[in-house]
Amino acid sequence: MAVFSLIIINKAGGLVYQREFQPGLRKLSTNDYLVLAGTFHGVHAITRSITPKLPLVATTTNPPIAPTTATTPTPNVTSPSSTSTPTPSSSSSTYTYPNPGIPATGLECLETDKFRLTCFQTLTGTKFLLFTEPTMVNIDVVMKKIYELYADFVMKNPFYQLEMPVRCESFDRNLQGWLRGRT
Amino acid sequence: MSSATKASRIGEELWKTRVDKVNAELVTLTYGTIVAQLCQDYDGNYQEVNKQLEKMGYNIGMRLIEDFLAKSNVGRCANFRETADMISKVGFRIFLNIAPTVTNWTSDNNQFSLIFDENPLADFVELPDDGRAQDELWFSNILCGVLRGALEMVQMQIEAHFVSDVLRGDDTTEMRVSLVRYIEDEMPPDEE
Amino acid sequence: MTQPARHAAMLSISNGGPNAVAVDKQQSQHIHTQSQSSQGLRVPSNRKTIYDRHLNRSRSAELSRASFAFLFAEMVTYAQRRVTGIQDLERRLNEQGYPLGLRLLDLLYYRTMASSTSSSLSSSSTSAAPPNRPLRILPLLHLIHGPLWRLLFNRPADALEHSVSPETPNEYMITDNDPLVNTYISVPKEMSMLNCAAFVAGIIEGVCDGCGFEAKVTAHNQPTEMWPGRTIFLLRFGESVMEREKVLERAGVK
Repeated sequence: MAVFSLIIINKAGGLVYQREFQPGLRKLSTNDYLVLAGTFHGVHAITRSITPKLPLVATTTNPPIAPTTATTPTPNVTSPSSTSTPTPSSSSSTYTYPNPGIPATGLECLETDKFRLTCFQTLTGTKFLLFTEPTMVNIDVVMKKIYELYADFVMKNPFYQLEMPVRCESFDRNLQGWLRGRT
Repeated sequence: MSSATKASRIGEELWKTRVDKVNAELVTLTYGTIVAQLCQDYDGNYQEVNKQLEKMGYNIGMRLIEDFLAKSNVGRCANFRETADMISKVGFRIFLNIAPTVTNWTSDNNQFSLIFDENPLADFVELPDDGRAQDELWFSNILCGVLRGALEMVQMQIEAHFVSDVLRGDDTTEMRVSLVRYIEDEMPPDEE
Repeated sequence: MTQPARHAAMLSISNGGPNAVAVDKQQSQHIHTQSQSSQGLRVPSNRKTIYDRHLNRSRSAELSRASFAFLFAEMVTYAQRRVTGIQDLERRLNEQGYPLGLRLLDLLYYRTMASSTSSSLSSSSTSAAPPNRPLRILPLLHLIHGPLWRLLFNRPADALEHSVSPETPNEYMITDNDPLVNTYISVPKEMSMLNCAAFVAGIIEGVCDGCGFEAKVTAHNQPTEMWPGRTIFLLRFGESVMEREKVLERAGVK
């Protein structure tokens, strides 16, 4: 199952990484990628704000292992607001979603006949956009591995500056190596 | 199951199965050489060394949080008490293979202490016998910065400082952690 | 020679076993005169001091590789703020590794000693049976290639070579195909000469100096297709070492 390409968007909506993993993919201009990243970032924020209680298009099949004693088991319920926390209401409402590892709001999946775009936003606000074949399964496994590689080869690289474009040769190498090893 | 027990279990499991290991002495000695270098660069001005260590920790924390999240796969905490358990039982476990005790909560649940029975960073360390270091230097101050940096990335502003350290001749090593506020910039308004 | 200065500098904070009590004489005297005489260090009432804990307790202890990586990355970042160029940066990383080499040398001695005597006689004989300190270059290199590498990285180094050039008989090379310290580091193109394993070069240099083999050690990139991070540590021994080597060879010392 093919992974076509990966885009990473920083907290501010800037494009920091873009790679293709299949030969012969149609390339966009750098500017188009920037626009794509910025647009997606904006749409993501809007979808989140208009439908904060949107049923999740669950991309992860495994149950969350978060220490959320009051987690509701099913999506699409109104906040139980049983959380007797001093936290602001917004963060407690995020938490009540069944998959707190992924902020419960915002566009997570976009599909056409020919490809699927899956978005994974980390709790820190970085977005990973993965373009795959529409029939591909276990995208969450791929996404998780990409996040781990990012945590290793980008975050632990002293020459990488946070929020800046990712130019880490060993990240490229390990990412490509891992994706190739999968197929 | 309490959130502490659950966090403990997660932390133990991760340490056993998901964490790449290195010789502990390599880490201890590397940290020691960092502190020694700072003491030299700042000419024995220990207040400045504390500050620099905190700053280094802050830089580390902002990056380390991604590793923590990628490895642990845990979600957002419901409250600060859960956060404390997560820090102690998962965070400290996967990065330093310890789980400092969470205790001394204030009644508003916004402040707690971490008590360190073990501290690999300070293993085999003795502060200089110069009549000042034991009063002024917080050898493990980098940890305060790590917590501040890491939590800031998940929308929590905190303040952390050591209040005692066995290296100073105290009977315990204790860090005080206070929640200042939740940072809300990216949070959508709640629609209830 | 800058050696004495380096020794003095590293002792301002003591970390790591045998050297832990050493404090630079001049420094402590200086401080004595300006503050009221210190009564020595305070210790916890439960006496949790370094003297009450076994030196081998951390021998097989493990910590997360990530913690090392973050600390090392921060060391590099910090060093970078205060340097003028790549060479200067490597020099600083080397200096940070150097004290580790001095300390690890004692630790290595202590441990090889402990393991060799435990099999022979009672522990009281440890002081009577000093370890075999390397007298010649080759045993020293084997100590670095094997025990030192295993202590630090849990495996021996990948190769040990002597320079083939007759002009540089004082040059030796230790190869690491994939240095642990560089695992997560991608050096930017404009700094392609840089190798952060200069830190490890400093450790090696500390071991050599501590053994009485004055040397300069540098780290160099020698990538292959299979090992993109392959690093050669070049050891250049000083004149005096080479002269002594000749004398010892004639005397039949191994």
